[in-house]
Amino acid sequence: MSDWLLTDGARRLLADTCTYEAVQAAEADGWCATVWDPMYRAGYASLSDLPLDDALALLTVAGEHAAPVPLAEAALAGWLLQEPVEGTVSVAASTELRLDSGGLSGSAARVPWGHAVERVVAVVDGQAVVVARASAARVERHVNLAGEPRDTLVFERAEPQVIAPAACDLRERGALTRVALMAGALAAMARLTVDYAGERRQFGRPIAAFQAVQQHLVSIAQDAALASAAAAGAARVPGAFEIAAAKALASRAALTATRAAHQVHGAMGMTREYRLHHLSRRLWAWRSEYGDEQHWAQQLGRAVAAAGAENLYASITGGSTAI
Amino acid sequence: LRAALLFAPADLTEQELALQAEVRSFLAEELPRGTFTPGLGMAAPRDPAFSAKLASRGWLGMALPARYGGHDRSAVDRFVVSEELLRWGAPVGYHWVADRQSGPMINRFGSEEQKQRFLPAICRGELSFAIGMSEPEAGSDLASVRTRAVRVDGGWLVNGTKVWTSRAHESDWFVVLCRTSEVSDDRRAGLSQLIVDLRSDGLTIAAIQVLSGHREFNEVVLEDVFVPDALVLGEIGAGWAQNTSELAYERGGPERWLSTYLVVEELMRSRPELASGERARLVLGEAVARWWALRRLSLSVARMIDSGAAPAAQSALVKEMGTRFEQDVLSCVLGLAALEPVADASSPFERLLFEAILSAPSFTIRGGTNEILRSVASKGLAAL
Repeated sequence: MSDWLLTDGARRLLADTCTYEAVQAAEADGWCATVWDPMYRAGYASLSDLPLDDALALLTVAGEHAAPVPLAEAALAGWLLQEPVEGTVSVAASTELRLDSGGLSGSAARVPWGHAVERVVAVVDGQAVVVARASAARVERHVNLAGEPRDTLVFERAEPQVIAPAACDLRERGALTRVALMAGALAAMARLTVDYAGERRQFGRPIAAFQAVQQHLVSIAQDAALASAAAAGAARVPGAFEIAAAKALASRAALTATRAAHQVHGAMGMTREYRLHHLSRRLWAWRSEYGDEQHWAQQLGRAVAAAGAENLYASITGGSTAI
Repeated sequence: LRAALLFAPADLTEQELALQAEVRSFLAEELPRGTFTPGLGMAAPRDPAFSAKLASRGWLGMALPARYGGHDRSAVDRFVVSEELLRWGAPVGYHWVADRQSGPMINRFGSEEQKQRFLPAICRGELSFAIGMSEPEAGSDLASVRTRAVRVDGGWLVNGTKVWTSRAHESDWFVVLCRTSEVSDDRRAGLSQLIVDLRSDGLTIAAIQVLSGHREFNEVVLEDVFVPDALVLGEIGAGWAQNTSELAYERGGPERWLSTYLVVEELMRSRPELASGERARLVLGEAVARWWALRRLSLSVARMIDSGAAPAAQSALVKEMGTRFEQDVLSCVLGLAALEPVADASSPFERLLFEAILSAPSFTIRGGTNEILRSVASKGLAAL
């Protein structure tokens, strides 16, 4: 069970700092010091030092607030190196990166906040390589569906600061961070949509009074509950089974819940001035990052099929402890 | 706070895992695959001898008090045993209703005399119960029941018709929801529950033919059936509230997401070539992921019951998605296996598939239609 004081503190900090205006400004500026600096000062960026379930609970809080900061990347960098990285850090994974006596070369696409961070941890052939970005890479700026920086970094004989064996599987742990973020965003989207349906009046009553609308509200709540249960299960036992199942479910839930939430919000949900898009666009982005629902369902299905009929139910109850 | 969104993470303790292992080895020994005809979840056949074996293990009436023959265990322990029986396709039909809801209801609302009379026999697997809620004019709208009990010397005279009464023809008792006073502005007032002997004078049971051809549902007609005061369950007039809590026992358990589980397991066992292609892996992965997470939510509901909470909204939320998933699983399997199912197929897979197709529409109807469940869950979504 995660530490309530920890998540409550983060929740209050983000309630103060991660306002609608801050998230909007982050999209324009490509960096959000008003959210990041207080979080960093309060020590939240060292979340890789926390027990895994606490770290993931923090990411869930970040997801609830659509926090436009590389908190998941700080966690991943710390897990890869087994110690938190000072300052701002992101993570690069690409098969086009290579490390030799001349240093780190090649390009990595979709590096979160790549243009803005002080350091990048690149994973090359199972090794975590820390490089200082500013001096070392050519940056092409891009953004994901949520307007968050996902930059391409091109290294040419960049000098490594640290080389260490990668202490975790980046694809699995990366997927786990997205599950936690999505669980938070889905819970927030469920609340936002219920509140909107209670306030918005048409035909003389709140639209929440219509059964057709209630069905959408319930299906969003179901998706949020499934994603939360999946996140909690994978936080407790972060095995291959649990991560694959959790990411497959959360990514699927992101698709179905955003569809229903937008339907309830009608045209209002399509505007920039209303904050639904802070959540829905992030859910669409996180859904595909580190593998989408099809990828992980395939992975899981392969493992389950290989384990055979006799182990099917044991895998449902025991997950990676069974297969 | 929004009740329908509150699910505490739930995992099994060491003791609960030990119980799970015990049930698994019991089933492997007592009911090896191939030696019995497995059923689809709670619709599995009745077998009093098997129920008695479970009773001798202490697995019936688990959460009932020891002084009434129960075992003072938790809702989670009962969850652990139930899910193993259901996924095995074990014949749970004889004890299912008594163990799941009638026993707990009598324990909660019954008189001392009723508890002593019924609970030990339920725990020994010697009594079976049916459910007396639905009527021709009262399906989802239970407050409109017309079965009426009129005060007579020493008890009540009951007249009315109950329908969809599963296994009434082979059960001993049923708990009847009926009207004991005139309909007032509050339609939920004036309802009561009576424990009625299915062999009473004036009571006739007739089969309702269903599309599968199975003898499962019945119409039970009560004509001047005398029910003594001693068999009034709880308070006269409190039937609505009592019945609502009975429905909470009915919802959110593993029987709401396991009805088609065995179809998948049997597909893998008997037609591995169908279960290993790229599309099959996707289907299998999606299904297993969902079973895994639904199970965690369902377990969380059982933990809430153990902590004294009344997770009505959460139970409805889980049952609604669990039962839709049961149907989705079947559709996916049908998409993988290009079969033309025939009755009495020799392969367990084809037989289960045949049965599942014919019973699947009931998954999202029985125990409260999904439309009603969505309405219950949506009330639990409003900020408290």
